Amino acid sequence: MALADIFDKYPDRRYIMYGGKGGLGKTTFSAATAYYLAKKGKRVLVFSVDPQASLSDIFERDIFGQGNIEIVPNLFACEVDADRRVQDYQEEIRQKIISMYGMKKIPEEIESYIKASSAEPAMEESAIFDAVVDIVVKGDFDYYIYDLVPLGHALYYLSMASIYDAWLDKITGLREQMREYDQAIATMQRDEETEEDQIYNELLYIKERIGESSKIMTDTKKTAFFFVLTPEEMTIVDTEKAAGLFANYNVPLAGYVVNRVINRDLLNENIPEYLRNRIEMQANALEMIDDKFGDTVHSRVPEFDSEIKGLNVIKELAEVMFEEKLS
Amino acid sequence: MEEKKQKKKRGGIIGFFKDFTYGMATHGMARHALKTRSSMEHLFILITMGDMLGIPILPPYYSLRLLPHVVPQITTWKRRMLREKDFVDSMY
Repeated sequence: MALADIFDKYPDRRYIMYGGKGGLGKTTFSAATAYYLAKKGKRVLVFSVDPQASLSDIFERDIFGQGNIEIVPNLFACEVDADRRVQDYQEEIRQKIISMYGMKKIPEEIESYIKASSAEPAMEESAIFDAVVDIVVKGDFDYYIYDLVPLGHALYYLSMASIYDAWLDKITGLREQMREYDQAIATMQRDEETEEDQIYNELLYIKERIGESSKIMTDTKKTAFFFVLTPEEMTIVDTEKAAGLFANYNVPLAGYVVNRVINRDLLNENIPEYLRNRIEMQANALEMIDDKFGDTVHSRVPEFDSEIKGLNVIKELAEVMFEEKLS
Repeated sequence: MEEKKQKKKRGGIIGFFKDFTYGMATHGMARHALKTRSSMEHLFILITMGDMLGIPILPPYYSLRLLPHVVPQITTWKRRMLREKDFVDSMY
């Protein structure tokens, strides 16, 4: 089925993701899909949490950490500055402590705990996924195209999320028991009301956020996850493995898009041996792709003779990707 | 076995005094050091493998949200975690 038909057939799939190894064209396809949908009159946000700022490169505009920037009518792009988000968040916690207890300064051991937390690797992942929840929850776009960083990241977070969820249940349960004690004590002391347990409320909030963030990737109705691959045996094997892993976490796979296919007609021309060999290699790999993925391969995108950069080239790419002339 | 006992006995009077002073002066200290050491060991395991006891190690991003609410209790919590409680303690 052609890629455009997939989008027509499943209009509810509003969270679009391209996954795959680094450098295969995730960002390019994200940009092209965003461009295509925007031209179709949808409001689209394409966003990235990658500190290496590739959307800025492809749209040839510095958008890093600047919120939603309109690139062409209906097409918005956003690059989240994860570092700054962590810092802002830490500052927010500091301010909260200061205002809650009327302190002049954060006690030293508390301060060092806050500082140390940013060194934890999970900190950045969580901050990123929390930022994504913020972006998506607002819901003011028809489509959200999530330019993912290479595979490991998302899988790591999804596995984390399921573990966190399990113990959040445990501590929330504990907190509920504590609450019962509080109430019992209050009754014995003839107090009318017990104070609201703020920690309990925070726990509920955290649970909701973690659930929300993994839902963005695992919602079978709203999410479409495409794998990007190139006609090379190693990439195919890796992609197959990754697809298996993602399936384990219930990420709904919407299909595959093949990138960098060299035009076979070139064989009829006088071309160097090197290119001839590459085309033959690709032919074998493409056969393998058909074998393995069959009709879940939705588009074959040719190798371009220039770097995909700037709106003109993105448009050109979107046209071949979706097999449709765009205005 | 027999030989070992013989050796120990050969310590005689001097050996007895050695053991006696060890018992008077150092034994308590050594015991205390061992206890401290083992409680540090336990604390270490608690920090690294808390989940085993059902002690949640929340992702730091989210545990920071809880931090403001526990600020007043941190000092007492630490003191309590580091204090040992067993029946021997209550004898002193």
